[in-house]
Parts: sequence; structure tokens; C-alpha cells
Amino acid sequence: MNLRHRIARTALIPALLLSSVPAAAENVLLTLTGAVTDGRVELTRADFDAMDWHEFATSTSVTDHQPEFRGVLMRDILAHAGAEGSQVRAAALNDYVVDIPIEDFYQFDVLAALYMDGVPLTPRDKGPVWIVYPRDDHGVLADIRYDMRWVWQLVALHVQ
Amino acid sequence: MTTRQEWIRYLGLGGLVLVCLGLLGLAAWQLVQLERQMRIGASENMIWVFGQAQIEALNLALALSDEAPPQKIQTRFDVLLSRLTLLEEGPQRRFLEDAGISETLAGWRSGLLALDPVQGADPAALRSHVTALVAALRGKASLVMSHEWQIQAERLDRLGHLHRLALVSVLGAALAGLGLAAILIDRERRLMRGRLDRLRAEKLAGDLERERETSENHRRFADLIAHQLRTPLAVIDSAMHRLTRRGGPVSPELVSEKAAVSREAVARLVKLTDTALMMSRLERDGVLPHLGAHDLRDLAASVIDDLMMSAQGRDPARIRQPAQIAPMVALCDPALTSEILSNLLHNALLYSPLNCRVDVEVSQSQTHIVCRVEDRGRGMSPEEIACAFDRFHRGSGHETLPGSGLGLTLARHLARMQGGDVNLTQRVGGGLTAALYLPRETSA
Repeated sequence: MNLRHRIARTALIPALLLSSVPAAAENVLLTLTGAVTDGRVELTRADFDAMDWHEFATSTSVTDHQPEFRGVLMRDILAHAGAEGSQVRAAALNDYVVDIPIEDFYQFDVLAALYMDGVPLTPRDKGPVWIVYPRDDHGVLADIRYDMRWVWQLVALHVQ
Repeated sequence: MTTRQEWIRYLGLGGLVLVCLGLLGLAAWQLVQLERQMRIGASENMIWVFGQAQIEALNLALALSDEAPPQKIQTRFDVLLSRLTLLEEGPQRRFLEDAGISETLAGWRSGLLALDPVQGADPAALRSHVTALVAALRGKASLVMSHEWQIQAERLDRLGHLHRLALVSVLGAALAGLGLAAILIDRERRLMRGRLDRLRAEKLAGDLERERETSENHRRFADLIAHQLRTPLAVIDSAMHRLTRRGGPVSPELVSEKAAVSREAVARLVKLTDTALMMSRLERDGVLPHLGAHDLRDLAASVIDDLMMSAQGRDPARIRQPAQIAPMVALCDPALTSEILSNLLHNALLYSPLNCRVDVEVSQSQTHIVCRVEDRGRGMSPEEIACAFDRFHRGSGHETLPGSGLGLTLARHLARMQGGDVNLTQRVGGGLTAALYLPRETSA
């Protein structure tokens, strides 16, 4: 219910973004490997824009307030890449690597956020992509075992 | 126990309950606190966060000294910048402030931004800035580590403290519970003792009442017997007096008349003695019926024959027993049954006028043989019938007639001993019907 509302609200955003940051659309933001279509799928900004966008506010373990995050659902990205597997190995710019069960993405609305508080995430902050769990909607997510899966500066997903 | 003591007792009990519940509530609250504090937050992972900043600074320094391609330098620059940004955000900044190293790290990020390679800054200046940053971070790493462990140790102390408090609360509650249980068990014991005492007192009171009743019965019985003995004795005395009076000769007719009167009085005395003996034996449960199959018509006929001899004063010849062909066999003791019938017939003769007949009729129902004795006397009201079977009860207006007040009581008692009964009903057309029920002899 809540999610549908968000979709409606964010429906216009991709179109607006396309016109405002056309240069960024060319760069590959996220690379999926492993059990995906043809073994490798590269997602550009344009690919992200073609998907449904969602947004929600949640507390995080590294900020004081509850930033508003905006992006696409992780499960949509996996569906887009035709991923078949039980977990993904997420890798960040700083070589941080963690395994995440794919089940998480279906159990919760886990976001691949590109915006925080309306500001685009960049590699100088926690961009280009930050995996964000709806921490405030599910008590179980306020736990170190889930905090470890909030990968920022995400650049690659290996599906296995 | 006085009211004051009881109040103190109740207050003590209530206090213990409150203490017990309060301590349990406290323990529960402490356990909830414990559970909350046992979560590990990612922000507590500052050794890692700070170490990552150090590594990224080293990585950038390495890329710069290797003269790596600009793209790679840019990436390392961006990542290092993100690490410094992270250190300046809420939880991380507070940690560094607490550890006293926040100020020494301030300014490094803005310094780095001023040397952004994208903006075409001087690589040599950037390199010396990053080298200085690496040295600054290295100098603070041990402080971060010791502060982190300090925090963790304090947290464990708090958890331990909460844990001990919860334990003490539970032990306190257990003690209060024990006290409560002791008080309740003591109370239950007192109640039980009280209940036993009351039961004993009730039993004693019942025994006393029964004893008093028995004694009263004995007294009335003695009075009655004495009175009943007195009348026939007076009759005999008067007869003897008449016969031995000085004066004219005694005619044979007079001797015969007085002898008859005396014999009747003696018969009444014998009868009275028999009844008293029977009652006495019954009271000791000394009589057991010898049951057998007997035709109730024959028993009634022989009782009527006996009455012809003994109750001439009441004209027994007015008793009518219709001739019946079918046998009416009951399972009964002939002696006891004769006693009952004699009693009922005697009553009928005694309480009805001499010129009215008395009917004796034997019939049978599904389960019983019934002998009905009907008189045409004054009859009895329902109230009189209701108490006619009470021991020593004499019918109203009949106090002067000879009788013990035991006849009907005895009759009913004997009937019930044989599985039957005796009851009285008003006769249609005036008078009383006394009915004896005895079980039918079924095997015949």
C-alpha cells in the first residue's frame, strides 16, 4: 500500500532526471556477473531510469537523522538482469565485499538508492549506489547482521 | 484473635504480595533493559571505520607515488574523501569528540577538497597533504582503539550490573513468595483446625440432643406406663373390694361379673406389658423378622378370633370380613403382622361407636398385599393423621381412653421392618381407613 503510493509519487522523477543529468547516463553504475543473462549485465543510469523508482525515509547506523532515500528495488535490478541464485556477493569501490541472501530483497523492500535527501550519491559520499534496508519498518533489521549488508559505493554484484 | 492483630496480618500479607510483584516487575524491566543493550550497533565498529580511512589514505598515497593513471587516482581520492566525510557524520563525529581527537582531524577534508585533481590541483601538494594525513591518522588509531574498548568494557559493566540487579530482584521475590506461602499454609492450617473443631462441636451438640430426647421419651414412657397400669389395677381393686365387702352374701352372678371385669383388666395389663417389652426390644434392634409366605386373610381371621376373646368390652363381633376365594399371599413375619393387625383392629374398635361395624378387606396391587381396616367413628383431620405416628401421641379427645400412644408407631415400625408400611386415610362417608401394605410373595 505504502509502496504503491511511493511509486505514484516518484513516477515523474526518471523523466526529470533524464533531462537534467544527461551526461551521467552514459557511465556504467553497476555491473552484475555470475548467474545473470549472458553472465554479465551492465547497468547505466538510463537502465535505472527505465525501472520503477521508490523512496522511503529510514534511520541508518551512520547518520543521526532519517534521510529520504530514492532509487530502485534490488529485486527489480535482479529481475532486470535475469538473475537466478540464492545470494549475491556485493562489492564496493573500497573493495568491501559482503554476501547477501537474495531472500532479503523479496522479504523486504531493499533499495538500491541513488539519492539521499534529494541529493545524488557520488563516490565522494556513499555513491554511486547504496544498498538501503527499510530499517524502521522491521524491528529485525536493526541488527549488526543486517547493518553489514548496507553496502555503499556499490559497483558490482556477483549472483551465485 | 483481635481485630487489630488481624489487620496487621492482612497488611503483612498485602505488603508481601506487593513486594513480590514489585520485585518481579523490577526484574522483568531489568531484563528488558539488558536485552536492549545487548544489541550491537554498526556505529560501535569504529576501529574498522577508522582503519578504513587509514587504508584509503595509504592507497591514495601509493597511487600518487606510483604515478598511476588519473582515473585510478581520482577513484582513490573519491573513496578517501568519502571516508573522511563518514568520520564527520553524526555518530562517528561524536565518538571522535569523546575520544578527544575530533579537533586534530578537523580541516583535513577541506584541505583535501582544495587539492581535488579534477580541478587540476598540484599533484605534489596533494601527495604531501596525503602523507601528512597518513601520519595524523596513524597517530590517532591507537586512541580510537582504546576508546572503543573502553566503551565496550563499560557497556559490559552495565550489562553485568543489570544482570546482578535482576538476579537480586528475582531472589528477593522468591523470598517474599516463600514468606507468602508460609503465611498462607499457616492460615489454611488454622482454618482446617477451626473447621474440625466446629464439626466436633456440632456432633457433640447432636449427641446431646439425641440423649435428651431419649431421656425425655423414657420419662414420658414411664409416666404413661404408670398411669396405664394404675387404671386396670384400680378396676381389679374395686372388683375385689366389692366381693369382699362386709354385709350381704355375694351372689354367683356378681362373682362372675367381677371376675370378667378383673380378667379384662389383667388382659389389658398383659397387653400393655407386651407392647412395652416389644418397644424396648425394638429400641435395641433386638427383633429380626422371620419372613415367609403367609395368606393375609388367614392372619386377619385369626387376629379377629383372638379379639373375640380379649376385647369383649368393645363388641368385636361387629368386625366384618367378607369371604374371599383368591389367596392373598404376602412375604411377612406372621407374629409381627398379627401384632400390627391386632393393633389396627383394636384402634378401630376403640375409636368407633359400639353400634357401628368395622370392615376388614384384603386386596392386592401389582407389588403389595393390602389389608384395610375401616371404621365409622369420628375419623381424623389431616393434621391429626400427620402426627398420628409420632411416638406417645394420643388422639385428641382420647386422652382418657386406655392406650399407650405407642400402638401406631409400633405398627408402622413393624411393617417397615418387613418392607411394607402402614398409613391412615379418611374414609369416604366418615371414619378412618388404616391400611397395612406388605410385599407380595412373588415366587408363589
